[in-house]
Amino acid sequence: MIFLRDAKFTYESGVEALKGVTLVIDEGEYLAVVGGNGSGKTTLAKHLNGLLRPTGGQVLVMGVQASTRTVAELARIVGYVFQNPDHQLFCRTVYDEVSFGPANIGLEEQEVRRRADRAIEVMNLSDVRERPPLSLTLGLRRRVSIASVIAMEPQVLVLDEPTTGLDAREADELMVIIRKLNDEGTTIVLITHEMKLVAEHANRVVVMMDGRIVLDSDTRGAFSDLGLLKRSKLLPPPVTQLAHRLSQIGVSNDILTPQELVFELTRGDDP
Amino acid sequence: MTGFLDMYSEKDTFLHRLDPRVKLLAVVLISVLAFILAELLYLVVLLCFILLLLVLARSSYGKAFFALKFVIRFMILITMLWPLFDRSGTPILFSVGPLDITEPAVWRGATSAVRVGCFATVWYILMFTTSQRDLVRALVKLGLRFDYGLALAISFRFIPTFGLTIESIKDAQRARALELDKGSILRRSRNYVSILVPTIVYALRTADTLALTLQSRAYGAFSSRTYLREIRMRASDYIALTVVVLILLLPALAKYIYGVQI
Repeated sequence: MIFLRDAKFTYESGVEALKGVTLVIDEGEYLAVVGGNGSGKTTLAKHLNGLLRPTGGQVLVMGVQASTRTVAELARIVGYVFQNPDHQLFCRTVYDEVSFGPANIGLEEQEVRRRADRAIEVMNLSDVRERPPLSLTLGLRRRVSIASVIAMEPQVLVLDEPTTGLDAREADELMVIIRKLNDEGTTIVLITHEMKLVAEHANRVVVMMDGRIVLDSDTRGAFSDLGLLKRSKLLPPPVTQLAHRLSQIGVSNDILTPQELVFELTRGDDP
Repeated sequence: MTGFLDMYSEKDTFLHRLDPRVKLLAVVLISVLAFILAELLYLVVLLCFILLLLVLARSSYGKAFFALKFVIRFMILITMLWPLFDRSGTPILFSVGPLDITEPAVWRGATSAVRVGCFATVWYILMFTTSQRDLVRALVKLGLRFDYGLALAISFRFIPTFGLTIESIKDAQRARALELDKGSILRRSRNYVSILVPTIVYALRTADTLALTLQSRAYGAFSSRTYLREIRMRASDYIALTVVVLILLLPALAKYIYGVQI
């Protein structure tokens, strides 16, 4: 679906943010891109929809060179939700906001309406449909910004730190919706440094450090090497740390959720 | 767009150490001098002197080149355009159709170009060697109300931040398939609303937060405030001040009192 081959990117200031990244993202994946601040994860994500063009190497989206397509063309395939919803909300009502993207890609009015309605329903925004988006709480504003991107019905959805500033409940609700989108077939690329989200949701983890991918594995594998995570300025979720401490008494060190740990501890010794 | 704003670089030269008030005065006086001098030769000497200061300020080549690029383009433009509009004097060097290019006009063009060059370059020296903080401090010390000085400092400070935010807003809307440079004029201006509204909202929120931050740090609690770093004239500053005043005064005296052609 998306293929990066030895992609390099250097900012005008001379900062080398990507030093040769090779990555294949398949259809239907739930991929988490993790790494400390400045590791290059956002730069990587901005290559997926053409906001940034690689200064070396290639980015292919659906088999086509991304550099030959405009951002508007790529936006139909790859949706990108920015970290700060306030950087994009400007309409009078949530409905107007959500229909902005579909209208931009030149759909018929009826189709715009259908997609906006669907996005509003998926993101549970029906109650605030006619409210001004800027007056909503941060949790709702974040959901409006995601709705406004999924209304374009992209096959890939890139989310940059979607839970920043949300309380536990808002974050949980949001992650459940994203999970559902993935189940329905949308490829999810989650950029985050919150390892609890990664452990509970992603199927695959890409760890970035200093503009390079230092680990690309399934989620379980990513949490077995605590040293690597630490070097990448990441903190695994408490339950995984506990499991590592308990490994002397036979607990496996790739525990991701409390349920797994409970199961591991109560199942007894015989297999 | 930040090219013009981060011209200052931290160095340790006498120009950096000089009291910002003296620097400000020097720049103003040298600018005046550039207007007093009328002969090309003396203006070239002045320009060389200014360029020498630029070298002594040890400004980085990249920044100096960026800054001088504009000045040089402007100087070339003046030299070329002046004779086209000023057709007085003889001899005529050559004629292109109805245009007569005369020798005095070419010299006048070059003189003006060098004058503008002096005028522009000398201000760059101030920007290269004085941090915005010091500049504002000097203005306050010279009698600007502190409120205005602070407002000035804050606006300098926030221009790059604002630039970054606007870039981010643009990117966020482009990711929603917005094409800024497509469609009719009406469509395009409507497209810009999607950039403008988030920018204004951001500006208002930032201003609000900033006001609270200033208040929580007791801004305006007392009508007279003290400063952490007082700027004080040292002996070397007085020497520099004298030199600068003489550099203006001597040619001015020569020209207006003794009638020397310079």
